[in-house]
Amino acid sequence: MPNFWRQHRGWIAPTLFIMPAVVLFGVVIVASSVQSLWISLHDWDGMSPMHWVGLGNYQELFRDPQFFTSLKNNCIWLVVFMLAPPLGLGIALLVNQQIRGMRLVKSLFFIPLVLASVAVGVVFTWVYTPGFGLLALVFSAFGATAPALLSDENLVTFAVVFAALWPQVAFCMVLYLAGLNSLSDDLIGAGQVDGARGLNMLFHVVLPQLTQVTFIAIAITAIGALRSFDMVSVMTQGGPFGSSSVLAYQMYEQSIFSYRFGYGAAIASVLFAIMLVFIVWYLSRIMRADDRGA
Amino acid sequence: MSSLELHHIEKSYGSYHALRGIDLTVEQGEFIVMVGPSGCGKSTLLKSIAGLEPITSGTMMINGRDVTHAQPGDRGIAMVFQSYALYPHMTVAQNMGFGLRMAKRPKTEIEEAVTKAAQILRLTDQLEKLPKQLSGGQRQRVAIGRTITRSPEVFLFDEPLSNLDAALRTQMRVEISTLHAKLGATMIYVTHDQVEAMTMASRIVVLNAGRIEQVGSPLELYRNPDNFFVAGFLGAPRMNFFAGRVVQVSTGHVTVQCPLVEPFDVAVVDNAKLAAGDSITIGARPEALGIGSDGGFPAKVHLVEHLGRETILYADAGALQTIGSDTGTGNLTVHLPDVAPFTKGDPVHLRFDPADAYLFGGDEQATLSIPKSI
Repeated sequence: MPNFWRQHRGWIAPTLFIMPAVVLFGVVIVASSVQSLWISLHDWDGMSPMHWVGLGNYQELFRDPQFFTSLKNNCIWLVVFMLAPPLGLGIALLVNQQIRGMRLVKSLFFIPLVLASVAVGVVFTWVYTPGFGLLALVFSAFGATAPALLSDENLVTFAVVFAALWPQVAFCMVLYLAGLNSLSDDLIGAGQVDGARGLNMLFHVVLPQLTQVTFIAIAITAIGALRSFDMVSVMTQGGPFGSSSVLAYQMYEQSIFSYRFGYGAAIASVLFAIMLVFIVWYLSRIMRADDRGA
Repeated sequence: MSSLELHHIEKSYGSYHALRGIDLTVEQGEFIVMVGPSGCGKSTLLKSIAGLEPITSGTMMINGRDVTHAQPGDRGIAMVFQSYALYPHMTVAQNMGFGLRMAKRPKTEIEEAVTKAAQILRLTDQLEKLPKQLSGGQRQRVAIGRTITRSPEVFLFDEPLSNLDAALRTQMRVEISTLHAKLGATMIYVTHDQVEAMTMASRIVVLNAGRIEQVGSPLELYRNPDNFFVAGFLGAPRMNFFAGRVVQVSTGHVTVQCPLVEPFDVAVVDNAKLAAGDSITIGARPEALGIGSDGGFPAKVHLVEHLGRETILYADAGALQTIGSDTGTGNLTVHLPDVAPFTKGDPVHLRFDPADAYLFGGDEQATLSIPKSI
């Protein structure tokens, strides 16, 4: 037995260590994705036997105006969320200054990160509340009346995205702060000696050192925008009349409330396909970086 | 007009004084090497000259222009960093031209300057490469090229060779010296390597604890150190020091006594202010110690380093109270200019000519023996 172990430990040990992750990933991610794809080809209420409909769910989906509303909202999320990396960078540059009291300011910017997104949603629901919300108070200070953001079908998605942007900006700020701290002092010094100042310093010396951070910030922000669900669920439940729904929320609503698991799975599959674009881009970049590093 | 003038530069971080009243005047075309132990302030001083470290007080002039509060880019300086600090995303040509680009010079002028610098540094074939595709020596040359293109009034070097291997270091040392001769520019070079200091400098500045201990040509500093610190810092292997006592004071010289050695006379400077009974430190360079089979004082070989043309002997001379020896109390370092057939444990007799001895005394451990001819 000890002999067997000595001969084979080269592959036994790594296999043992990787096994738990492989099993977990296989069951939770791969198997459920495949099963979800399988369900999307059926009509199923979750209890009675599944009824094969082929691509029927998908055909229905592409004729469903609610699907396109959700898709459009996901696009709005994606575009508005792209403000998070530059805003995060701006705040990181600001709080990275060696000024007295900056530690306190920095920790204030950290707060949304430790809040549950449900709490963020509730906070912003209050802010937007007509009559006594913070927004209403600000508007009334100028003698105006705040729009009822969460019940206006044209503004509601922007109102929700804005709330979700708050923790996302904080997240990007943390990424950039870590990146700024790892910058070489000598390189900044070289830039100063070369006469680079202000924006020149930022664009020619600092930002090029942060490309890896920027890439991670953009990729994670994009994926975060696509899988947005919790804020919609807490703040609007997709309303009014589904105008603030996103694909993830529509999937949940169809499956859980309307007992249409097949249809929900079809939405999930489309969402998965969209996300795949970003995931493949992300993974290929990371793997290329690994190859270069090796 | 001097190239660089420092007037009473002070720098403190809270209660810690990194620089204490630095005064230095550098003439056009000089190659100044600043040396000193770690934490002596040499790098801080260089960064202050570059404008990368604010100073607490004092003034700084470059070519007669007050630059005390000028931005680094406006001082007429260029700097080579220890880590090279090349912009990793720019090609060699972009790295070298960046300073001119920031100064908004026309493209043709930048190209011309880069081509010229690349020729001087043999980088013409590397211009389109990224720094990570270059070897250590090539990166170093790009860092130097970046300074040349800006044709600054003063070049600053911050331990530029410390990341290179020994062979490359020797080669780059020669290249930098050659470059200095070719450009005739003022250069200020910080290092902790005294070989670099001795071989490259027109003048060496020895710094210790934020103060200038002595400024002078390499040979001046080696032959006539102002004090105990400079004597011990320059020269490898290090000068031997041992404790002694003044037994008699006469005009122009004192008689000194120390264990094992017969009392001997040393010529001293006029203001030596020594009295009989004073404790002093006696110094003798390793090459000033001679070896014989009798006479002098007895010692035992502790370790031999055969370097080919020369031999370094570490000898134990029990009763002699050596100070700050590299290898422990009682050890003397002897430098023999030839192959010497000694092995560990051999008994030897050491002697030195009192004319080669240095005396250090007083609160400052200043050199009291008269200057030696260079």
